[in-house]
Amino acid sequence: MPALLEVRGLQKTFGRGRGALPAVRGVDLDVERGETVGVVGESGCGKTTLARMVAGLTRATDGHIRFDGSVLDGSSASMENRRRIQMVFQHPAQSLNRRMSVGAMLAEPLRLLAGVPRWETTDRIEEMLGLVGLDPAFRTRRPRQLSGGQQQRVAIARALMPDPDLVVLDEPTSSLDQSLRGRMIALLRRIQEIRDVSYLFISHDLGTVRRIADRVAVMYLGRIVEIAPTGELFDDPRHPYTKALLSVAPTMDLDSARERIVLEGETPSPTDLPTGCSFQDRCPLVFDRCREESPVLAPVGDYREVECFAVTHPSHS
Amino acid sequence: MPTEPGTGGTERFVPPRIDGGREVLPLASRKPLAVVGMVILSVYILLAAVGPFFVADPVATDPANALLPPSLDHLMGTDNFGRDVFARAVHSARLDLTLGVVIAICAMVIGSAIGVVAGYWGGAIDEALMRLTDIVLAFPGFVLALILVAVLGNSTLNVGIAVTAAFVPYFIRLTRAQALSERELEYVDGAKLAGNRSGRVAFIHVLPNSLQPSLVTATLVAGWAILTVSGLAFLGVGIKPPTAEWGVMVSEGARDIDAGHWWTSLFPGGMIVLASMAFHFIGDEFGGREA
Amino acid sequence: MNLLEVDGLTVGLERSPTSILANVAFSVPEGKIVGLVGESGSGKTMAALTMMGLLPDGIEVRSGSVRIDGRQLMDPDTMTVERRAGDMAMIFQHPQAALNPTMRVGRQIARVFSLQQGCGRDEATSLAIEMLSRVGIPGAERVARAYPHQLSGGMCQRVMIAMALACRPRILIADEPTTALDVTIQAQIFDLIRDLVEETGAGVLFITHDLAAVAEMCDTVTVLFGGQVMEEGSRDDIFRRPRNPYTTYLLDSVQKEVDPHVIEAGVDFELVGCRFGHRCRYAWEECGGVPDMFSVGAGHRSACFLHAMEENGAGAP
Repeated sequence: MPALLEVRGLQKTFGRGRGALPAVRGVDLDVERGETVGVVGESGCGKTTLARMVAGLTRATDGHIRFDGSVLDGSSASMENRRRIQMVFQHPAQSLNRRMSVGAMLAEPLRLLAGVPRWETTDRIEEMLGLVGLDPAFRTRRPRQLSGGQQQRVAIARALMPDPDLVVLDEPTSSLDQSLRGRMIALLRRIQEIRDVSYLFISHDLGTVRRIADRVAVMYLGRIVEIAPTGELFDDPRHPYTKALLSVAPTMDLDSARERIVLEGETPSPTDLPTGCSFQDRCPLVFDRCREESPVLAPVGDYREVECFAVTHPSHS
Repeated sequence: MPTEPGTGGTERFVPPRIDGGREVLPLASRKPLAVVGMVILSVYILLAAVGPFFVADPVATDPANALLPPSLDHLMGTDNFGRDVFARAVHSARLDLTLGVVIAICAMVIGSAIGVVAGYWGGAIDEALMRLTDIVLAFPGFVLALILVAVLGNSTLNVGIAVTAAFVPYFIRLTRAQALSERELEYVDGAKLAGNRSGRVAFIHVLPNSLQPSLVTATLVAGWAILTVSGLAFLGVGIKPPTAEWGVMVSEGARDIDAGHWWTSLFPGGMIVLASMAFHFIGDEFGGREA
Repeated sequence: MNLLEVDGLTVGLERSPTSILANVAFSVPEGKIVGLVGESGSGKTMAALTMMGLLPDGIEVRSGSVRIDGRQLMDPDTMTVERRAGDMAMIFQHPQAALNPTMRVGRQIARVFSLQQGCGRDEATSLAIEMLSRVGIPGAERVARAYPHQLSGGMCQRVMIAMALACRPRILIADEPTTALDVTIQAQIFDLIRDLVEETGAGVLFITHDLAAVAEMCDTVTVLFGGQVMEEGSRDDIFRRPRNPYTTYLLDSVQKEVDPHVIEAGVDFELVGCRFGHRCRYAWEECGGVPDMFSVGAGHRSACFLHAMEENGAGAP
């Protein structure tokens, strides 16, 4: 059976000509039913653009997205696919209409996407508020009367309202206090158990992704450089970028004796990429081939894929 | 037994709280001008609403009592036809205030609807609408209204239409600018994902969030509209004598000033000034975001 | 030797009995990095702004003292901080917003030298370039001629640090200096701050909500909640032997499995007693009053009535 979501050769370039900005440069990614795939990367790596293309908010320049067997064509996603793929955004205060009550906001997807008649919405809304841990009385509140954590719960409730199969979560915990993040992750996991929904979880925060994802994809400059089951990736990162990223992520574990790999320099501008591997200027393992040829994702072991000559063809380096 | 925070054990500790909290200053000291404006306006509204039932017939002439100075019988004196100036001013309040408010509301409704279309969809529609407003805005509002009344013909309704048309571009501009920034916010994407088609996104989601600047301007426009309407009437365009209207009254009374009969034009003129000032005070002080 | 000593700092809204900071005290020794950690609404940024004399309108200092090298900076009549050049410098969360967008960054740093040391334009410029290379900016001369918008966030933060160091401050206040930056860039900035502390012997007040960053960077930690100091101690004390219920709650919510259905309210600034009272699992009548700081170990203090009970031999509930 094919995966629920199949992304193949997906590309997005903003603008044209000399200033063209390639945000996503050929991404292949599968999300199975009931699975959570985490996508991590630093600012400008294209993770949010990828998320928006999957949710049908941004039209891809090239490549395709297949969802449950049917091809999604860019932004004109059919209403049925819109119902089945929902998204939660980074800034809860911004992603809710500040002039609408919580109830009115939650009723919209029910009526417009699921075709539920108006008189049945109230029960469904109160049930959903319960699922995300909010009191039914929140139905009449407006976003400004809620705390950041509560707003994000409303946003999650709205995304779940039309009973989707896939929810794209774009940095859903980044703007929340640290003590709330764990709770939000626990909530998302419980919802997944109850509703059997798949998540595409976008984040720059490795700690958060580690707690929720089954598999993790690491993006750098618009490409996935490593993808592996969460445990494998965190215990034994293979791509030099993943290694560096994991080694410098701050940790509360005072006993951890890891070697910090502080990368030199900054991420190059996507408008002016070098020939060959885009990580070459910061890579400790760089050799001649990396400057001539672009590596592609290649399997390493049973479940892992890495895009690096030094890892996939170690004999040459 | 300690309970998990927030799960509500039966004997939850209820911490004591400060009584009162932050002392909120009365509106009068936070926004004194707005309160002055509101007081003036309430007096006007009262006059306009119930005044006409208590005062004399505004168009009944009485040549025997022409040009009497203000007295207890005639609070604002009488004009050269012996009509009671106060009675005319009160009747006029009803006409002018209604015109001012209705014009402001109509201009806002039409202007915001067009503005949100331009701002949310952008592209060629926006380009066309913006050039159109450029042309309209190139004329001073008063001149534009003057031309329009000349074309449409003299009648109260036509004055209303002309003045409304002159103010619509302001609201188009304001709402468009706000909609341009609103459409970049995440809630617009959220609304799309909730199944809203673009018309609903624009009018149900973006429009209500883009109205704030227009609401403030509408108050100012109500004041301007009164000035414009009575200004046109003063020039003899639009509302004509013997209708009781402040501009008409000032225009008629202006001839009497030389003879020392100041009251026939001063009182209606003062009413115009006070009314538009009241609207401006309110609009100005609420123009900043409410603290 | 404590370079900076803040004591009894109480700050509140004008015309209101509520306080945003209540009797806050902490100190920064020479050559040490002290973490001021708390979630949103904890008052950590307000404490920094008070020290810098940058409080916004409508907020007043009610009491407190701020001393540098034993010298009182708080004017007892006006309750404002009168700091001298060289006392303190501050770097902010959004460096791009803190720099003047219309002036080349080299000139901005040079101005600090001209104003402080009265040196001429050429000398100031060369000092500025030297300072830029000292904070690890490659091609300092070229960068000095750039405007802030031409530089990345990490670069701008280095420029901010260079500008702060130009004042030769005894204390560097870093308010969420890396929150807006990527992990790999954050690692570089952390290394830079550590190196500078070692070189100059300045003290750093490191303000953040990120516990992991605190664990990485700080020697001692002060935990704030709702404008009250909850606990202070060495890094080991706070992370390995937390004594205050709030600290425990905070650490647990990040590290352990949590119940997703506990609803988080914001800080209630109108509580008379302990601000954590309404969320604390141990709260009882005593907590309607404000607890003192109890010594619970060498250099380790915590504000909680539980410690009073322990001292009276009643044992923990």
